[in-house]
Amino acid sequence: MSECEKTNYIGKSVPRIDALEKATGKVKYFEDYQIQYRDLLHVKVLRSPHAHAKIVSVDVSAAEALPGVATVVKGSDPDLPWSDIPYGSSYYGNPAKDEVIWAGQAVVAVAAESIEIAEQALELVKVVYEELPYVTDQHIAIRPDAPEVISPELGFAAGYMGFQPEGPNVAGSYKMTHGDVDKAFAEADVIVEGEYQANKKSTSQIECNGCIAEYQPDGVVKLISNGMGVHGVLKKHLLTMYPQLTASTLRVIQPVTGGSFGNRLFPTIEPLAVLMTLRTKRPCSYVLTRKEMYTSSPSNWPVFTKLKLGAKKDGTIIAEDFYLVEDAGAQIRGYYDGRLSASGLMCVYNIPNVRCDSYGVRTNTMPCAPYRGLGVPESEWAMENLLDELAEKLNMDPLELRLKNIIKKGECNPYGEKVTSIAIGKCLEAVAEGIKINEPCQQDDGPWKYGKGIAAGGKQNTPLGRSEADCLIHSDGSVEILVSCDEQGMGAQSALRQMAATELQIDIDRVKMTRSDTAVTPYDNFGASSRTTYTTGNAVIIACQDAIDQLKEAAGREVGLAKKQITIKNGKAYVVGSDVEVIDIKDLFKPFDFFTQQTWGLLQGTPVRGRGVFCPAPAVPWFGPGHEDGRTPRMWNWYQYSAFGAEVAVNVETGQIKLLKLFSTADTGNPINPKLVEGQIDGGVIMALGFSTLDYHMFEDGKMINANMSDYRLPTVLETPLQKNFMRAILPDPLPDGPFNAKGCAESMMIPIGPAIAAAVYQAVGVRPKEMPMTAERILKLIKDKEANDAK
Amino acid sequence: MKFNSYYEPNTVDACVQILSEQGSDAKLLAGGTDLVIRMRSRVIKPKTVVSLNAVPELSEVTLKEDGLYIGAMARLMDVSKSELLTGAWKIIKTGAGNVSSMQIRNNATLGGNTCNASPSADTVPGLVVSGAIANIVGKNGNRSVLLEEFFTGPGKTVLSDDEILVSFKIPKYADKTGAVYKKYSIRGDTDIAIIGVAGKITLNDQGEVADVKIALGGVAPTVIRVPKAEALLTGKKLTAELIEEAAVIASESCTPITDARATKEYRTEMVRVWVRHVLTDAVQEAQKN
Repeated sequence: MSECEKTNYIGKSVPRIDALEKATGKVKYFEDYQIQYRDLLHVKVLRSPHAHAKIVSVDVSAAEALPGVATVVKGSDPDLPWSDIPYGSSYYGNPAKDEVIWAGQAVVAVAAESIEIAEQALELVKVVYEELPYVTDQHIAIRPDAPEVISPELGFAAGYMGFQPEGPNVAGSYKMTHGDVDKAFAEADVIVEGEYQANKKSTSQIECNGCIAEYQPDGVVKLISNGMGVHGVLKKHLLTMYPQLTASTLRVIQPVTGGSFGNRLFPTIEPLAVLMTLRTKRPCSYVLTRKEMYTSSPSNWPVFTKLKLGAKKDGTIIAEDFYLVEDAGAQIRGYYDGRLSASGLMCVYNIPNVRCDSYGVRTNTMPCAPYRGLGVPESEWAMENLLDELAEKLNMDPLELRLKNIIKKGECNPYGEKVTSIAIGKCLEAVAEGIKINEPCQQDDGPWKYGKGIAAGGKQNTPLGRSEADCLIHSDGSVEILVSCDEQGMGAQSALRQMAATELQIDIDRVKMTRSDTAVTPYDNFGASSRTTYTTGNAVIIACQDAIDQLKEAAGREVGLAKKQITIKNGKAYVVGSDVEVIDIKDLFKPFDFFTQQTWGLLQGTPVRGRGVFCPAPAVPWFGPGHEDGRTPRMWNWYQYSAFGAEVAVNVETGQIKLLKLFSTADTGNPINPKLVEGQIDGGVIMALGFSTLDYHMFEDGKMINANMSDYRLPTVLETPLQKNFMRAILPDPLPDGPFNAKGCAESMMIPIGPAIAAAVYQAVGVRPKEMPMTAERILKLIKDKEANDAK
Repeated sequence: MKFNSYYEPNTVDACVQILSEQGSDAKLLAGGTDLVIRMRSRVIKPKTVVSLNAVPELSEVTLKEDGLYIGAMARLMDVSKSELLTGAWKIIKTGAGNVSSMQIRNNATLGGNTCNASPSADTVPGLVVSGAIANIVGKNGNRSVLLEEFFTGPGKTVLSDDEILVSFKIPKYADKTGAVYKKYSIRGDTDIAIIGVAGKITLNDQGEVADVKIALGGVAPTVIRVPKAEALLTGKKLTAELIEEAAVIASESCTPITDARATKEYRTEMVRVWVRHVLTDAVQEAQKN
């Protein structure tokens, strides 16, 4: 094996950096830092019992008088930052001022010596509400005459960028036309249409959201949080909110975290903890309870899709028309116009005539945030289900129909973007083969009926700003990579380390990762839209190249060669094209000399610092002249794909679905660490199995009624197929501009699971589910309706 | 979770003494799997907690002339594995084994699951069809109550503040008796039951139903019997049609609510499905025993 091959870690399942520490319980989560503080205050929050109500009065005097209470925050306090947030602060989780707009919104917060005292204090708070009409159903909320989610007199205007809302709760709209849709439908031989709904769901990460804010004697506020984006989310937002903090007096650290899946993309707890620490000058810890995780931390945005497809007899799909509404909940900030969810309906199939009419609407439910997949699993639920129906109408194999219509590499999608990496065809063929789609299931006399189905999915990568990385070459020849990418369990830092070791041609054990401390590590935006591998990965490579460049320069100077004559590998400098070693990198660093004072050259103990900055290729503006049709040659970065095959059993007496066998394939670009990718696939599949068949928010009287892990039914190991029936494969198409041709992969495998199960349910019992999750009750109702229909 | 005093008496009498002094301020601690959660979430705030964990005889399971005695503090895990529960008594094992996860069953007790008085408690329907009698000790002496008369509503029982449920007496069962409990939930035992159905059938020598008891959990404020369906089946030879008829009667005689686990319509339909399965299996069991 050549030196170069030895240090090529790409495509190798190098063990995760944190595997041993995590398995042995040695890593520190934010709660482990609580014991450092002898004078820690605990934050507890009183929450609105109403979906929509005016806050008439708030009396906190008894709570303030309770011994052990350090401070009480209510919405009308002068030091709460309102200027940026006209109405209240659903976005930031601080107490509401004038109105509560969902059941679970913060109204009063207490910091006290113990959790017990804080809870006791909250019971002494007297809030008088005047209930207002509310709307939790997105189908009602979008009507022009719907109850207003927020009272208009609060000065919060719907819409943005010139968009004129068509109802009081419409947040935005994105429309796009490609080709001549009406003409195409007129020419179509077969037309299918359907209405599909995906419900509200929570990410349910196992570590509840929490942080500790500490006021240091020099006025620096140190925030230890399991939230996302130390720079790009937390620091950025907190600086906007609190003018008393500056770029140098706010430090944010992300320890090891227990998951986010997008839920932590908005800082919903940190602003309160920081405010309380600014007030009390004492460390404050704020941790959500599991109930609060459901009622008061963001959910996904549910999506309603009305989709129509037109095809020629041979299966060529020529027309697509859809109306889509995403439900942003009580999210008064952010960017909701349907565009993100709609992207799922325009990235897998090459349809020459497409019309997109999409909206974002608000409801009096907990505000949304990204949930793994950014609304795309919700919208492709419609596409994949309707394709199955279309295949039946055309009397065509669903696999063949899909293969016939997928976008080919180099072709443009309906946005007008050229697709440079796509392996969905391979993925689909593999799953069809894997679950033997053409072999019918054996049926018996019992209540369980069996069926198989396949589906595809694609997900864009949203261009989400820059990543920076530093590559330190220490004077002992070891390497340290400084990044601020989120590590929510996906193993990003392990993959980045493999990239660095490969780029530097150095033994991976000599590469150390230092991560996510705004006082130490450079800027990164946040770990969303599967961007870390791509964006931070590219930044790491650039930083390594910069460091190499500096080493070449230093080595050349030392031995009298030009930079271009030198190559660096395995911690040594060589003459290009030969194996002649010119100098060990370690020897470039000189010991301190009293007489020269080391005024030039590299000094022992001080590293060479390579810098890397990577911004995704700038997106062409989404608005303005030239983009009236909603199209642009670059709206997103690249696309990840996945296909899924499912074999299920459906109980005709109870409506229950059991997933018996599954095969998931993912086009992740060139995988950096296959084991980590497989981990992503397995985790994604189980998560999607949950929201496809089990878990969703239930509301009664405007309140979520299943805000606990007993009634919010996540799949357990018992709902997951046995390992021998749980199959997966990585089928990559390399991404030209990806780091070592990799793409991100965290989201695509979520998409096809629901539709593949739905296709299998259809095969088993002849009903087509339209609403996700496909709960036992819903399936049973479809079966009963069908029986009643058949009897007619 | 804060309370003023904690007692761990060694005898039932001492326990009754404390309860009669403390009145409604006191709560009994058995396995704690319901009590601790409710105290933590501040749903209840007792001033005094009285543990029954130091009274050893409360955990005993004893076979006597007149039946089987199960101490109220018997852990569900032990009940679910008890070798004394044979034949038609196995239904009690099944119910205990269906309660939640192994970790919970290791702590939770049969008496605790009963006194918590949840309409969907998995142990109760099986105990009810088995004719279980609750033995109660209080300030004013002992009394025994038929278990199906023990519950007065969700979370409510006939126990007064100074009384303790000490044991269950399970009467002996006749030959040719089969008893079956089925829990229906989405995620197996870890979930709270959507509904639970217990059925006990005794056949006579002609293979006709000499006695039948059906109990439903999770479909009314307390676990209920279905006398109308029982009357329909008594004295008859069971057929699929008859069983279906009884199942329909059962589903019509319950009054479920809609909650986070299921709608009332679904619960009603599930009663029909699972009463059918329970009766079908119970007859088979009866023929075997």
